[in-house]
Amino acid sequence: MEGIVATGLIGVSLGAQYALLALGFTLIFGILGVVNFAHGGFYVLGGYLAYSAVTYLGVPYALAVIAAALGTTALGYLFERFVLDRLIDDHLATLMLTLGLYLMMSSGLLVLFGPQSPAFSFPLSGVLRAHGFYVPIENLVVLVVCLVGILSIYALIYHTDFGRALRALADDRAVATAQGLRPKLLFPTAFALATGLAGLTGALVTPILSLAPHVGDPVLATSFLIVILGGLGSIGGATVAAFIVGMVEAFSAVYLGGSKGALALFVLVLIMLVVRPSGLFGHRVRGA
Amino acid sequence: MASIDLGAARGGSIAETASVVIIAAAFVIPWISQNPAIYSLANQILIGVTAAFSVYIMLRMNLMTFAVPTFMAIGGYTMAILGLRHGVTDVLLLGIASFMVPALFALPLGALVLRLTGVYFVLVTFVLTEITQLLLFEMPGWTGGANGLVGMPAVTLFGIELGDNRAVLLVTTGLALAGALITAAVTRGLRQHFAAIEENELLAQSLGLVVWHYKAFGFAVAAGVSGLAGFALVNMLLTAHPTSFSPLSSVNYIAYTIIGGKSTMLGPLVGGALLIWAGDIFALRGEFSQLLFGFLIVVVVLAAREGIVGTVARLLALLSSRIPRRSTINRGADALGAPAATESQP
Repeated sequence: MEGIVATGLIGVSLGAQYALLALGFTLIFGILGVVNFAHGGFYVLGGYLAYSAVTYLGVPYALAVIAAALGTTALGYLFERFVLDRLIDDHLATLMLTLGLYLMMSSGLLVLFGPQSPAFSFPLSGVLRAHGFYVPIENLVVLVVCLVGILSIYALIYHTDFGRALRALADDRAVATAQGLRPKLLFPTAFALATGLAGLTGALVTPILSLAPHVGDPVLATSFLIVILGGLGSIGGATVAAFIVGMVEAFSAVYLGGSKGALALFVLVLIMLVVRPSGLFGHRVRGA
Repeated sequence: MASIDLGAARGGSIAETASVVIIAAAFVIPWISQNPAIYSLANQILIGVTAAFSVYIMLRMNLMTFAVPTFMAIGGYTMAILGLRHGVTDVLLLGIASFMVPALFALPLGALVLRLTGVYFVLVTFVLTEITQLLLFEMPGWTGGANGLVGMPAVTLFGIELGDNRAVLLVTTGLALAGALITAAVTRGLRQHFAAIEENELLAQSLGLVVWHYKAFGFAVAAGVSGLAGFALVNMLLTAHPTSFSPLSSVNYIAYTIIGGKSTMLGPLVGGALLIWAGDIFALRGEFSQLLFGFLIVVVVLAAREGIVGTVARLLALLSSRIPRRSTINRGADALGAPAATESQP
């Protein structure tokens, strides 16, 4: 019983991290119609920014996380504004551009920091013990921050004018633009918000999992999985799917071992893509 | 985007013939060089270009595929299993098997995934490569799991063993040539059909084209060509291992095609040759070649949509049309017209 609860907690914690990543990914697709292959790259960049701030500037970890989120936000803004925006309606072109950016980011980090993982660990350690099960404090902190992040995104998207504007643009860009919304301003902002979320997740999670230039690859694959499962562009779908994937990963790692859980998930997603491309909760298929 | 005018078709035919001739010319390398570094580079280029042809075929139908490593793995493992377990060493038999098995695999798969287009097709093929990777590890009975398959007997041609460096390069060249011929034949024979699908699938269908047939056929052929590349790769490395078919290796084949130019067959050939050669120069610092790939992809997509080959061809055409011109009145209009023509590319 304790084992199941402990594994469940790991699943929830993984799910919260994935949700934060996938929300950014799905926002970018829903609003801009761009499949962001560089999403894993922003995650790794966030990790390295936080690591550099802590190691070379001696900044406290909490501030380093904020700096990493701001840094990735800024890069995302500039990339959308000056590169992506020029071809925003060509799905394959934007896909290639983000792919190119990802190759540059991951190899650039490899050139700067080398292939080995730097020593970067979470500043808090210890274990909470209650009723026979154990929860590492670091996981708890990450979980809380991620949950706050997810709730903030929901508030932002559903309860502010900015969020309404983004949803209007996602719904029908022509009409929204005719109503006076400005894609030139809102698109880079939305992209920056999403990449900032990826950077925040990276800064939070890489000290616990691992930090190396290539850790963006599995992050990209997982983001794909979740977003397809939940329905491309669906915010609620991505959140639910993230927790499903987190749970499946946690339980299959503990009880099945190997990569059978991942295999099952990928096959599930393949079937999903073929049978119901709009995903579990997607109601609208973008004409992509 | 697809122009079906005669000029483009003629340019395509020239490019196809040139590609086949250039690849066939690689047969002379073993007679003019003894340098193992050159053999290795030639092998890598021929394999990369063959894999990129597969991307090229799918792009004829406006489908961007990430599934090349999947079919390369099927072709490569087919060859390894036939050699290791069944003692088949004849290069012709193995070549046919490494083409047919992936192609047959692609038919039912195509029935499922070819209903998707655009971004969804990209995603489903990306997921396929991830599944392939996991399956290769999870089926050790067939694939040797994390150890891969090693110790295949050397391939033979009419009983002659093709085991040394030179022979391996000859086998690779033969497979690349087969891949190029098949690609040329299919894209030339079905040029109009593919162009109609690329231009407007719905319209093509309503005009009576059985779109599904051509897409399935193109997908199967592309899979077969990838399988040939997989055969050549396994034959060169002497091992069939999951890491040879990693999901992100598909990015390389896409990069060769896009950077070289996706409008003719010379594109993947030139792109593959230049980028693999450049990667070889950076051999000790491999990360720089990925940096270069990323940078070139961005530059090509932003500034030169036709890739290296298309841009060079356009510059040549521009030069040759400039030279005989006498009147100075048209020049201004032409200079304005040229950038406008590139801008209109969607």
